[in-house]
Amino acid sequence: MATNGRRQMVEDDEDIIDVDDSSLMNNQANYAWEEEYKRSWDVLQEDEHGSLAGVVNSLQQAAKRKRLLRDTDPIQRGIIRHLFIIIDLSKAMQEKDLRPSRLSLTFTYLEAFIAEFFDQNPISQIGLVGTKDGLAEKLTELSGNPTEHIRALKLKKFQETGGEPSLQNALEMARSSLVHVPAHGSREILVIMGSLTTTDPGNIHDTITQLTQDNIRASVIALAAEVQVLKVLTTQTKGTFGVAMNEGHYRDLLFEVIPPTAVTTTKTASNLVQMGFPSRSNDTAATLCACHGKLTLGGYICPRCNAKLCDIPTECDICTLTLVSSPLLARSYHHLFPVENFVEVAWKDASTTTQCFSCQKMFLSPHKISLQLQATTEAGSQPRRKAGSALNPGAGSSGSLTRR
Amino acid sequence: MLFHIDDLPVYFPYDRIYPEQYAYMCSLKQTLDAQGHGVLEMPSGTGKTVSLLSLIVSYQQHYPEKRKLIYCSRTVPEIEKALAELKRLVEYRKSCGLNETILGLGLTSRRNLCLHPSVSKEKKGKVVDARCHNLTAPWIREAEQAGQDIETCSFYEELERGDVRELVPDAIYTLDDIKELGKVKKTCPYYMARRLLSHANVIIYSYHYMLDPKIADLISKELSKDSIVVFDEAHNIDNVCIDSLSLDIMRPTLEASSKSIAQLSERIETMKQQGSEKLKNEYEKLVQGLQDTLAARDEESIMANPALPDDLLHEAVPGNIRKAEHFVAFLKRFNEYLKTRLRVLNVTAETPSSFLRHLKEITFIERKPLQFCSERLSLLTRTLELNNLDDLSSLQRVAALATLVATYDKGFMLVLEPYESENATVPNPILRFACLDAAIAIKPVFERFSSVIITSGTLSPLDMYPKILDFKATVQESYPMTLTRNCFLPMVITRGSDQVAISSKFEVRNDPAVVRNFGNILIEFGKIVPDGIVAFFPSYLYMESIIAMWHEMGILTEAWKTKLIFVETPDSAETSIALDNYRRACENGRGAILLAVARGKVSEGIDFDHHYGRAVVMFGIPYQYTESRILKARLEFLRDEHRVRENDFLTFDALRHAAQCLGRVLRGKTDYGLMVFADRRYARQDKRSKLPKWINQYITDTSVNLSTDMGIAIAKKFLRSMAQPLETQAQMGVSLWTLDDVLARQKAQKEKLERVGGVHQQLQQQYGAAEAQRMMQARASGDVYMEVD
Repeated sequence: MATNGRRQMVEDDEDIIDVDDSSLMNNQANYAWEEEYKRSWDVLQEDEHGSLAGVVNSLQQAAKRKRLLRDTDPIQRGIIRHLFIIIDLSKAMQEKDLRPSRLSLTFTYLEAFIAEFFDQNPISQIGLVGTKDGLAEKLTELSGNPTEHIRALKLKKFQETGGEPSLQNALEMARSSLVHVPAHGSREILVIMGSLTTTDPGNIHDTITQLTQDNIRASVIALAAEVQVLKVLTTQTKGTFGVAMNEGHYRDLLFEVIPPTAVTTTKTASNLVQMGFPSRSNDTAATLCACHGKLTLGGYICPRCNAKLCDIPTECDICTLTLVSSPLLARSYHHLFPVENFVEVAWKDASTTTQCFSCQKMFLSPHKISLQLQATTEAGSQPRRKAGSALNPGAGSSGSLTRR
Repeated sequence: MLFHIDDLPVYFPYDRIYPEQYAYMCSLKQTLDAQGHGVLEMPSGTGKTVSLLSLIVSYQQHYPEKRKLIYCSRTVPEIEKALAELKRLVEYRKSCGLNETILGLGLTSRRNLCLHPSVSKEKKGKVVDARCHNLTAPWIREAEQAGQDIETCSFYEELERGDVRELVPDAIYTLDDIKELGKVKKTCPYYMARRLLSHANVIIYSYHYMLDPKIADLISKELSKDSIVVFDEAHNIDNVCIDSLSLDIMRPTLEASSKSIAQLSERIETMKQQGSEKLKNEYEKLVQGLQDTLAARDEESIMANPALPDDLLHEAVPGNIRKAEHFVAFLKRFNEYLKTRLRVLNVTAETPSSFLRHLKEITFIERKPLQFCSERLSLLTRTLELNNLDDLSSLQRVAALATLVATYDKGFMLVLEPYESENATVPNPILRFACLDAAIAIKPVFERFSSVIITSGTLSPLDMYPKILDFKATVQESYPMTLTRNCFLPMVITRGSDQVAISSKFEVRNDPAVVRNFGNILIEFGKIVPDGIVAFFPSYLYMESIIAMWHEMGILTEAWKTKLIFVETPDSAETSIALDNYRRACENGRGAILLAVARGKVSEGIDFDHHYGRAVVMFGIPYQYTESRILKARLEFLRDEHRVRENDFLTFDALRHAAQCLGRVLRGKTDYGLMVFADRRYARQDKRSKLPKWINQYITDTSVNLSTDMGIAIAKKFLRSMAQPLETQAQMGVSLWTLDDVLARQKAQKEKLERVGGVHQQLQQQYGAAEAQRMMQARASGDVYMEVD
């Protein structure tokens, strides 16, 4: 390398530098392309200090355990929920850092989410809003019918991406629908955001204040990194904010939305909600349904206006009565009166029980476990001392789980 | 929180303390006990100010000497922050039941404190000073009292009437507080603060009040000798010292000063006609005045003014400038001489002594009268009762030049540059009188005060400061940052995705491949980093050329897709608008990139905490312009006088600026951010070793030699993991201590000491004192392992 005389005093022994490359070649785990494929390495990876990966991991574990140990005190929860899901359909969703891509993973998860959501919150409603090219588009209206949403999610035209998202437009659209829902139901927005920017027509902070005033709770799942405006949105509206580390974590974050949240405001006076419990029609001939105007066999008869509807839970199209069945209501109730948590018991205290009370499965005694471990270590080519000590229940305090 | 360091009870106004704060306080106490100077480096955002204040105030109140604390900081906002912290601390001490009187206050310029209805409306500091002078000068007040119709300042008059100590109860006054007090009492806050300085226990003000000889003379001369002086954010202190003794003289300066000279002689004429009583008195005063200064210096109550060395005061003022008209003529000659020098159209650089020789040849001006020039001028203005002192500022500069050039042989340099920049065609000559030795300005401070603490977030390498400021430090320490999560990720990107090495080296800096790779770094990071990114360039010139090239290459259009782009300019008003909009873009989720310059305004005083800066990119190494004659002269001086190699100093200077820029991103332990060093030279050990310890400890081997794509992959993962919720519980005991942790730590240390002491005794019994000593040393250094039973 020709060194210019004038600058020589600054950089005279410049050429040594490229030698370092060789040491890097050996350390192969850090190449970008490999990282993309070997996901399992994430879990095992330790850096020199063993802190970053370890700490984040332990944080995640702690969060998981927190989920298992739910607060079992009966509190007031809004089980009639109105949730708008805002899906980012911008260019950023094409990124492939979540496999197969942010977009398709989101749609796959959302299908599962919607099914699970209605399973656990049968008397709630969902609406879908997509945003791209600086515009917001309503994919489905607020409704309690999962098939409708899932059908919309499968439509090709809703899966096209482009441009940049507009958070403000999408929030405003969701808000305009949510302000009309009756006060006894909760108003929620879930934003799934892949992009790091948003192009807005006005001041988004006005929209956020508006949302807090309208008592709408907004939660965000970001797929790339923490964006300040999203964080502000969630803290001001008392929602949750999460950034997906990987596919599994993304799913966890999404499904955290399913259990209904506690009612925080005292504003909602306990008023009675009118509900109809329709009976199943047993007609042998096909009749026209009120919801689709099609000839169908079977259906539910509204107790107030006698119209026939295909499916419950729904609102009667004729008299706007909320129609549910009692099993559905009961299912929603389990959020209000949750099952008590399991208590960890040491082995010596649990020696009387040998099998699970409900499923009759035999517990493994500590003796048996150690035998099994021996078998595996002998069979395997490498001794797994670490795993053995972690699993051996005699050494630690862990033992069987019994109900309190 | 109350805990003891040795026998000193330390009141810390928070329930929790960072481990490094505790360590910092321990070293600080050591320094104060030893009555020595200290150099302490602690990362930004770890509560340096509060640790400093709480330890020193505790120290001051515990020991009978009650050593005064003088805390010097860089900018007004920083001073205000420190004052607020002090106020909180004292309130906390009160709430702990301590019955003590602490007077603490801040001092800033008249412009910030003035209450006078019309003067306070002025925007420029100099104008405010001059107008204030016009209202409060002694002869003006005398004239007013004699019944003449002259405007005076009622606030100042009110202050003159009462005793300032009775006016102000002991408390902590922030700048706003003292202004408020002035409003209530209808007195002048500026003079009130100035007069309180000698009574105050804690003073917080700007460096300049301590270092600039002109101001230090007025403000700081009465501070007692055992005061504790702290320079916070002191990483640039050598430049402040040098600037305070450097002067630039241009043609307009000389024009203005000849005008002033004409005014002076006119004034002298009229005064003569009115009655020459005053001029006669002046003659006496002149000798008198200098003798006063001399007497005061012997008693050491006045800080030595670097512009007036000791031997000068012993000599009488030379006869040829004793008379006013002679002095004016003298000034005129000197001024004309400078004018002729400025007409020369080639670059010259000379030492003060050669300048003097030439001066003598041409004008027969001797060295001695020159030395007295500025002193004589200030006396003359007092005698002539001149108003509008800002008109005289040019003449004062010329006089200051005369004094300095005649006083110092060493450590100064005169450079005459006929053109402003290299490719300018219209001559705009400038005579630079450059100070090369930072030690000159700060020398009186070190000599006078027993404890001087220099502290900042970026002081590495620590041994450089004692060298260039020429003092001996008793304690030199750098503290790492204890973190539960690695909340910043420094990485060195040495090449682009196409494996072309990147560097701001002179030979390759305009190579399209390098510029494109720099651009790609910007684009790629723009895609993955949320909210704000700050990118620093080594100089304005380089930034402009790169932006122009990026524009042609279409890199800017690409970056625009994800972020807005703002640029820092030398114009400070423009820059503050850009900053404002940059912040707005970060707040509302649009995201923005700020392109700034490593030695500019943005890199020094402005924080990019949290979302305002999730990543900082340093393009290249911010070396100084090495062709500058002044820099060359300074390097030569440093080599000859302080044995600092040119290369070492240049790298040190460049890397402290780089570290300063990159440190902007992290302001506290809950914050997080990326630090990107984009130059292949950063990978080398000699560069990295000069970075602060707290940054260096997190540069891992894997992140030291990355290409852009590898860097992006690591950054992506980092940003994701940092966004996970942080629980304070996890920090407890590790990076955040409660009182129990502090006590446990102290106990452990004590036990360790005792154990070591015990072993020593045992050894002594077995082998005798001398042998035991040797063995202990061996054990401590880890050379020998010896089993004692």
